[in-house]
Amino acid sequence: MSVPTTTQEKLAELERRESEASLGGGAKRIEAQHAKGKMTARERIVSLMDEDTFEEFDRFVVHRCADFGMDRQKIPGDGVVTGHGKVDGRPVFVFSQDFTVFGGSLSGPFGEKVCKVMDLAVKAGAPIIGLNDSGGARIQEGVISLGSYGEIFRRNVLASGVVPQISAIMGPCAGGAVYSPAITDFIFMVDQTSYMHITGPQVIKTVTGEEVTSETVGGAKVHNSKSGVAQFIAKTDQQCLADVRKLLSYLPQNWEEKAPEKLSADSAERRNPELDEFIPDNYKSPYDMKKLIKTVVDKDSFFEVAKQFAKNMITAFARLGGMVVGIVANNPMFLAGSLDIDASRKCSRFVRFCDAFNIPVITFVDVPGFLPGVQQEYGGIITHGSKVIYAYCEATVPLITVITRKAYGGAYDVMGSKHHGADVNFAYPTAEIAVMGPEGAVNIVFRKEIDQASDKAQAYQELVAQYRAKVASPYKAAELGYIDEIIRPRDTRAKVIRALTALKNKRTWRPVRRHGNIPL
Amino acid sequence: MGGKIIKVSVNVGDTVAEDDEVAVLEAMKMEMPIVAEEDGTVAEVKVAAGQTVEAEQVIITLK
Repeated sequence: MSVPTTTQEKLAELERRESEASLGGGAKRIEAQHAKGKMTARERIVSLMDEDTFEEFDRFVVHRCADFGMDRQKIPGDGVVTGHGKVDGRPVFVFSQDFTVFGGSLSGPFGEKVCKVMDLAVKAGAPIIGLNDSGGARIQEGVISLGSYGEIFRRNVLASGVVPQISAIMGPCAGGAVYSPAITDFIFMVDQTSYMHITGPQVIKTVTGEEVTSETVGGAKVHNSKSGVAQFIAKTDQQCLADVRKLLSYLPQNWEEKAPEKLSADSAERRNPELDEFIPDNYKSPYDMKKLIKTVVDKDSFFEVAKQFAKNMITAFARLGGMVVGIVANNPMFLAGSLDIDASRKCSRFVRFCDAFNIPVITFVDVPGFLPGVQQEYGGIITHGSKVIYAYCEATVPLITVITRKAYGGAYDVMGSKHHGADVNFAYPTAEIAVMGPEGAVNIVFRKEIDQASDKAQAYQELVAQYRAKVASPYKAAELGYIDEIIRPRDTRAKVIRALTALKNKRTWRPVRRHGNIPL
Repeated sequence: MGGKIIKVSVNVGDTVAEDDEVAVLEAMKMEMPIVAEEDGTVAEVKVAAGQTVEAEQVIITLK
């Protein structure tokens, strides 16, 4: 091709280079990407952003590797598409790994492109979204590739709690590459086409002899339900990106802003008489806590986080009177709503996210206690359970707690109690707030009486009933001021919104220090 | 979670949908529904009401 000399020719040259770059790895590889049911890196960005808002950076960047014949293979963009655009009219920065270019593998310049948009996102106070679809390090680049990963990880850490960081895993994400998403606030995965693992099937087979697939060791279902590494799962790329947009609608742009309010047609004073019959008379019967929450919050605003992991704990974003809140709730349908290691990890990480980004936390409590068992103790429930304490105690956002039924033992303290800094604590008349359940307490308090009774079983049953009537209520706690008000379930929405409104400009201070030492 | 099966809600041959109750487990003073993990037909019921079960024990199998 001749060297362009006129302005027209120079514009044509730009056009030619741009269209070459926009093809990534070329038509054939794009076809292969589509055949797997995946969108290309650019299609994903278009799907994520508001129409015609994406501005691309660094599309002519190429690698500088001269080894292993790499100098003969250069593709503009070098495997990642970066830039900024808008979601719901608000700026976001994005990097989207391009599997059609060298399998999306990470080179030095690839890393520099990612770091550039991360740095800008922090400076601009806007969320950073990473769309991951990469074979990992570019082996030909050697240790440069590792350096690049390290630079990205450090930026992830420094951006943590400054701007929201969201990762979508939309293809392979293996080895060291998993740690960048892992540090970010939320991980989305696409079912069947994405996986995340430190060591893949081949390495596992060599080392331990176990035969596994990428799907069973690190698929979307595994990480959403078993490991808790990912919080969202989608069937398709399109759905995944729509979910990312939805999550962003609940988040502020950065730690100094408040989450966007959305006027709701749902009246803040709406009462729900049906809730007065919601908690079952039989204290052994569970009920659908999610249904209760959905009734209380603004219509259709409930957006669950980590739905399939630790189902005994519910975490969700929602709106109340238009204001974004984080919801934490025990779910009596699973493990009786008890606190175990997974529930503690899920809850504490969510509360800390909310606190980092100015999102008030509303806690619904129905907790019989910590889950007993050797497995729990060996697994370190002491350490993990203390994370929940830590998260609530260090939180400075408005904290409102509603005890619907059980709040027993240490779990009472842990779940957003007054003593841990909650601002407004409500309880239903059905609440049972006590140091331990009647069945256990009676054995200790009335041991003598039971021993001396002629019919021990009958004496036990009677004492349990007496104890339940006397202690298993919210009134002891209310006498002490641990509960601010005992409310009718029908009034929950109005009461919580009024409290939230009163607390809107809450300010509180923490001691000056380098940083606390959360029991990790 | 381990506990006592207080009710088996399905019989062999029944069709169940994901999240349908197949049995009720009492543990930690709570009667919790055990639900089907996926759609299917009940192939085998491996427990009876009143029986104590361990965590991870198979309650029913689907086909």
